[in-house]
Amino acid sequence: MATAQQPAAPVVKSGVQPLRAGQGNSFLWHKLHSLLGIIPIGAFLLEHLLSNFEALKGPAAYGAQVRFLNSLPLVRVLEWTFIFLPLLYHGLYGVWIWLRGKSNIVYYPWAGNWMYTAQRYTGIIALLYIGQHVARQRFMGVDLPEHPMAAFAKVQQELANPWMLAVYIIAMIAICWHFAYGIWLFAAKWGITPGETARKRLGYCCAAFGLLLVVMGLASIWAFVGGKYPNAPGNPAPSVSLLIAPAPVLCTAPMLSSATMLSS
Amino acid sequence: MATKTVQFEIKRQASPDAPAVWESFELEWRPGMNVISAMMEIAANPVTADGHATTPITYDSNCLEEICGSCAMRINGKARMACSALVDNLEQPIKVEPLTKFPLVRDLQVDRHVLFDNLMAVKAWVPVDGTYDLGAGPRVFPQQQEANYPLSNCISCTCCMEVCPQFNEDTGFVGAATIAQVKLFNNHPTGQVFKEDRLRALAGDGGIQECGFAQNCVEACPKQLPLTEAISDINRDVLVQKAKDFLRG
Repeated sequence: MATAQQPAAPVVKSGVQPLRAGQGNSFLWHKLHSLLGIIPIGAFLLEHLLSNFEALKGPAAYGAQVRFLNSLPLVRVLEWTFIFLPLLYHGLYGVWIWLRGKSNIVYYPWAGNWMYTAQRYTGIIALLYIGQHVARQRFMGVDLPEHPMAAFAKVQQELANPWMLAVYIIAMIAICWHFAYGIWLFAAKWGITPGETARKRLGYCCAAFGLLLVVMGLASIWAFVGGKYPNAPGNPAPSVSLLIAPAPVLCTAPMLSSATMLSS
Repeated sequence: MATKTVQFEIKRQASPDAPAVWESFELEWRPGMNVISAMMEIAANPVTADGHATTPITYDSNCLEEICGSCAMRINGKARMACSALVDNLEQPIKVEPLTKFPLVRDLQVDRHVLFDNLMAVKAWVPVDGTYDLGAGPRVFPQQQEANYPLSNCISCTCCMEVCPQFNEDTGFVGAATIAQVKLFNNHPTGQVFKEDRLRALAGDGGIQECGFAQNCVEACPKQLPLTEAISDINRDVLVQKAKDFLRG
């Protein structure tokens, strides 16, 4: 190897590569991520918040709601297809998207840029929270699909820890923000609201909607920790006897006895 | 009476792989002076504020009236055109740095070639070449002209790309300027011939899907292009195009 040493060429940074026209499938994966955030994940979030709202009516009503959901046909298939797998994909692909973005909020502290950054932080809060929430409430402790009436007590015990309560409140706000701004982003990025005015109007709608979800969510949390239903029993009513709840029995008893008298 | 002066701090780099250094300069204030006129003065008389002779600064500029797109640089941290950056409106010392997202050539000069590669990748032109006289083009209605004119104002300054959190080496995002030009040429009655090609190109890796809608582009654009509107519209068109391609097999 007796070749003369070439003078080292200056190391020029290659910079951002040009568009790879017609290459790759990232368009599909991005759009899937975006769509899953609305349906089914957003739709499930709505269902979840509405179901949680039943907690304001007490342990029996909350347990009945949990039992109803677990009585849906093919419920385990629904759970995996429309909740766990979409959540996992949306969460992990979201982290991938976050890692590839370079936030520059320091230099450009503009409203849209703040929202862009907030969407990433609320997303990671949501992912971490949902990870522990699903593990502890769905797969650990009392098996709620088997014992739905113990749902209120299980959540109440979880929220008895003030740290956990703080986690739930922060996560509730972060997730509702993420979903509300996610709807706005979806409309903007799928070309539903191309105009400035349309985006602004939808922005107000999403803000109001997000606020409503937060209020509903926090109200549900209050139902567990507010002291109205202290020390809810692990199984407030045997699951079979709920259809003939204690209260209606009082008024139906005379009718029942008269009916027996008539028939006898 | 002491003369009023203007302080500048300029980030300098002798070559792409040389270390970056800051140098301070002090100029006599003149009414209506802008950053690019100050750069010219410093290049003509390269003496730092503490009296040391230095090399003349290198920068891109041409028209001096925000129409050529050459003199984009970071002024007090923000990407903007140096020609329209009036010194009187800026906090001193005025910090001048090169754009950060493009390979540095020297001092304030960067290589913004990627924008032209992207414009070529999406065929951002109206094809009129032929072996015979093609005659007059189709009529463009005034309403269409009004809609297209703002998009035609793009000066390829790359400010929208510099300020975009998604435009970086990891994503290889195409940037707002190219997407706006796709809308412009797709709206043109003759340019429409490449409409499907342009939309398919924008669905490639680094395409329109990488947009995170931080909307910095539209804030930074010195020519007020409706960039977010273009991104939204073209996103829908790309989606429809991909759906059609999928269903047609």
